[in-house]
This record gives sequence, C-alpha cells and structure tokens, in this order.
Amino acid sequence: MKEAIRNTTTADRILFLLLIIASVAGLVYTREAFSLGSDVVVEVNGRPVYTLSLDTNREIVIDGSHGRTVLEIKNSKVRMKEADCNNQQCAKQGWISRGTIVCLPNRIVVIVGSGITKDIDAITG
Amino acid sequence: MQLQDKYRIAILSAYALALHGFEAMLPSPMPWLRFGISNIITLTALVLFGFRTAMMITLIRVMLGSIFSGTFLGPAFILSLGGGLAGTIAMGTVFSISRNIFGPVGLSLIGALFHNAAQLFFAYLLFIQRIEAVLLISPVILLIGTLTGFANGLVADILIKNLLKKEQDSIQNVVQA
Amino acid sequence: MTMTTFRKISLIILILLTAVFSCSPGKDSVYKKTMPLMDTIVSITVVAESSDTAEKAIEITFAQIGRFGDLINFYSDNSELAEINRNAGVHSVKVSPQTLDVIGKAVSAAEKSGGAFDPTIGPIVKLWDFLNKKKPAESEIVKALPLVNYKDILIDRADSTVFLKRKGMMIDLGGIAKGYAVDLAVESLKKEGILSGLVSIAGDIRTFGMKPDKRPWIIGIKNPRQTGEKDELVAKIRLSEKAISTSGDYERYFISEDKRYHHLLDPKTGMPASGCRSVSIVTDRAVDTDAFSTAIFILGAVKGMKVVKEMGMDAMIIDSSGTIHMTDAIKEKITLERSH
Repeated sequence: MKEAIRNTTTADRILFLLLIIASVAGLVYTREAFSLGSDVVVEVNGRPVYTLSLDTNREIVIDGSHGRTVLEIKNSKVRMKEADCNNQQCAKQGWISRGTIVCLPNRIVVIVGSGITKDIDAITG
Repeated sequence: MQLQDKYRIAILSAYALALHGFEAMLPSPMPWLRFGISNIITLTALVLFGFRTAMMITLIRVMLGSIFSGTFLGPAFILSLGGGLAGTIAMGTVFSISRNIFGPVGLSLIGALFHNAAQLFFAYLLFIQRIEAVLLISPVILLIGTLTGFANGLVADILIKNLLKKEQDSIQNVVQA
Repeated sequence: MTMTTFRKISLIILILLTAVFSCSPGKDSVYKKTMPLMDTIVSITVVAESSDTAEKAIEITFAQIGRFGDLINFYSDNSELAEINRNAGVHSVKVSPQTLDVIGKAVSAAEKSGGAFDPTIGPIVKLWDFLNKKKPAESEIVKALPLVNYKDILIDRADSTVFLKRKGMMIDLGGIAKGYAVDLAVESLKKEGILSGLVSIAGDIRTFGMKPDKRPWIIGIKNPRQTGEKDELVAKIRLSEKAISTSGDYERYFISEDKRYHHLLDPKTGMPASGCRSVSIVTDRAVDTDAFSTAIFILGAVKGMKVVKEMGMDAMIIDSSGTIHMTDAIKEKITLERSH
C-alpha cells in the first residue's frame, strides 16, 4: 500500500489536496451561511404547542399528561433528553435531524420538518 | 472482439457487480447515492484494456446490478447509470489525453468526482426539488468521494501492477517454454 | 510536489477537518420552561450556562408569580382582591405591598388613558359569559355602569389599604396583573443572576439581555383573523430590553347573530369596543404594555395612536377594517407576514 502511495504522481497529489480543500471549504461555508433551519413542532395531545427553530440551542420542559419531559435542541438536532415514562422509547431514539420522536404515554409528538425558519421566541396576541 | 476479451469483460463485470452489491449495503447520507467502489474494476479495465472494455463493464454492472436488486428503471438505476457513465467517460477522456500526468489515483479521483457530480445533478433534477438541500450535502459527498476515490485509486494501482506482473510472468513463461 | 510536502499538507488538512467537525457554538444555551399559573400559560426562557442554573432561577420565579397570582385572583374567594371587593362600600382592606402597587399602577393607567382602561370594570365583567356565549341585558348593564369609576378607588399608601367607595364595586385586574407579574418575574430572574431571558404570560412578554447568537428576541404577533388551527402570524418584531402586549378581539369572544362579542369591554358603555381587531403596545415595562394595550384598544385607532405618542410608547394597531397603523420606531423592528 505504501508503495502505491509513493507511486502517485504530482498531479495526483495536487488533485487530491485540491478536492479535499474544496470539500472542507464547502463544509465550513454551508455550516455558516446556509443554516437552513427547520421547524421543530411539538404537539401535545395532538395540538401544536411549540414551533421552534432547529438553529437555536435550547432545552424545553414540557408537562405532558404523564409527567415531565425535556426536549433538547442542540447543533441542529433534537432529542428527548428526559421522559417520565416507562419504556423510554423516545429517549432511546437519540438525536434526530429529520423525522419524529413520539412519547406515547405523554402524548407528545416532536416533528422535525423542513419548513422555513420561524425563529420565533414567543408569540403575543 | 476476441473470446479472451469477452472472457475478461465477463469476469471483471462479475467482480464489479459484486463490489456494487456490497456497496449497496453500506449507509449513505442520501438514499440511492453511492460512493462507487466498483470503480476500482472500471479503472483497472480502462488502464489495462482500454476505454471500450471499461464502458462495457460499467454498463453491464449498472444494468445487472439494478435488475438483481429490483430497482431497474427506478430512481436508483438512473443515479447509478448517470454516475457510472459520467465517471467512466471522464476517466476515459483524461486517460486518452495523456497517460502520464495522472496515475490511477488521479484517474480514480476524477472518476469519483464526476460520478458524484452526476448523481447529485440527477438527484436534484428528478427528486430533490430544493437546491439548498443538494448544496447542503454536496461538500460531504465531495469529501467522502475524494477519500474513497483516493483509496480506490491505490487499490486499483496495486491491482494493475499485479495483473501486469502476471501478464509478464505468463509471457515470460510462454517465451521460456 | 514531494512526498514530504504532500504529507505536511495532508496533516494540516486533517487538523482543519477535526476543527470543523468538533466546532460547537457557544457555551450558553437557551432554556425554556412552561407552567400553568394565574389561570394561564406562563413561559420563561433564559440564557444560562447550565440547565441547573436555569432550572433554579426559573423555579424560584414561578413561585413568585404563583404567590402574586394568589393575591389578586378575581375568581377566587381567598385572594386579597376578593377581600377588597367583598368590602366595597364597607371598609378599607389592608393589603400586601404587591397588591397595593399593582392597584396603584392600575389607577395611574386609568388616569393616563382617560378612563379607557378602568380596573373597576369588575361588575360589568361579571355580567358577560363568554364560555356559555351569553350577553347581558341592556338593563343589567345600565345598572352596573355607575359602579365603574376608577376615581372611587381610595388608596392609602401609609396604611397600605384599599377602599372601594360604593357598595357593589369590584376591581378586576385582568387587564394589568399579567403584565405586572411579567415585570416581577424579570426582576426575580435578574436577582438569580440571569442576564438574558424572556418571560411570557399569556402573550404579555418582556425580554432582557441578548440571545447567545447576539441577536434580539423575535416575537410573533398573532394574526387577528387567522383561518387555520395553527398559529398564524401577522408580523414578527425584534425586541431588545422591551415589553410587548397585545389585546385582540379574537382571544375571548362569541359570535351571535353575525355580531362579534369579545372580552375587551368599554368602561363607558359596558359593551365590547369596536374600533380595532388587535392592538400591540411596546414599551419598557410589561405592566404598562398590558394596561395600555387594553386602553388603546378601547380608544380606537385614531385616538389610541394619539395617546400612544403622548405616552412615548410604540404600537401596532390593526383597526376594524384590517388596516395596520404603526408608530415610526416600530416600523424598523417589524417584518410583516403575507396577509392579515
């Protein structure tokens, strides 16, 4: 294997480095400029209670019908940090950046959509 | 085409198909988007046996691959075909322009680049209507493609050397005999 | 390029990659907790380093809000407010500092708004039943109207007492208590060392400090005529160190014979005020935004805007025809959504 690496031509190496630099640069750029943000919609008992942005790290405590649930949004991912239910299915799901987390006993549904960013911190009216 | 060529194509296609099938089991950031490790075979064929052989192998791999996995004419098929063709044509073109500038590694990188680019293009055209989503995953795809392309190139290099050596050995044997 | 150059560059890139992938935004996080209090939803958002700091501050503040809510609960027999109302026309009642303070502020708001906001509207409020969609008879309203007069509230600061001059008078602090509680909450959070946060009690909101990304807090203003079930916004406003309250004809209402009857009653007529669909007020303290969003709603778009400017506040008024009026300062902070 090492011999093969030594056998690479100059052009090979330049191309490789160029591509790596380009992709890393692309990564950095997309992380910053593009943060698409998605909506995280939390529904309790079927009614949407919160619409949050995936961009802002935060923790939300929801009082469901069974007890206390803690939702955490961090680095554009969501997880159920704590749930006061027996099977802990929702917490076991871990971090998601797409899809849903459901806590059946608490009747809480968390949906990560790909909507337009609605970075609302609160609603008046 | 001589029998030996057909024989070669068949065997190489079989290997390519196997690699393709193996790769299908690996996870991927976007559905139906593959990295192209079967490119090792295509590249080796290109360097040793020429563009036509490489192209045949690509087509056979894509067709049979999609038929066997039941995705013939489906979205996976289109991505696979588009990526495969783009990659092979790109490699073939560069190789025919100059054999010395790029070694197998460089060719592999080029192949991977065009393979991925074509896949992203077709993915956008056909299913993911949102350009932002495509642009968002492109850097990741590019990065992984570059790394696998590099690795593929190394493997192809070893493969080529080994096959050449075998040829030389067998020629020597013939000469000596 | 030589092998060593290649290796060196590869190493640099490897380090870059590690940096990119392990990069995580700032240490401070946003924590939000919601709890039903004061017969509504109270939501406290803070910026803190750890969930423990956040939790502690929020719990202490919730307790503060709860205690205040108990003091001025209009619908409970045990509150200090109920005690005052029971003894209207009989004798003065000694109350806690917070009760005294909020009633004092209510009277002040009444004076400044020319009676458009009047905390003595209690008797009229009791006549309307929005839950069962019942509107009172004309005669009942006529009978109750004389009891509505903030000037008949006598406050003795030295003794810490409140006296309602006429029998049958009732103070209802519904239009100002939540705002007052928001201010209490903000003070409490600051006392617990929180530098940045947002308190919302049923849509009476106050923000302080900045979010971790150094941007202002963004508040959505509900569309008074939203069509779907989900919250639709008419505008988004960026706030920094300010409070906002909104009064609307869509919060508590019923429609009878094609007419909308809502809970923002004009103290002079006992009937719902008809000039506006929603009024949002922005100023430093929530006690003011709460009281004045009610007052300005009652006054209507033209007169209301005049008072807003006199008070040095900012407002966005959506009048009964759906036209939006805004003060100059607010125009810079607001982005309107598509339709209203």
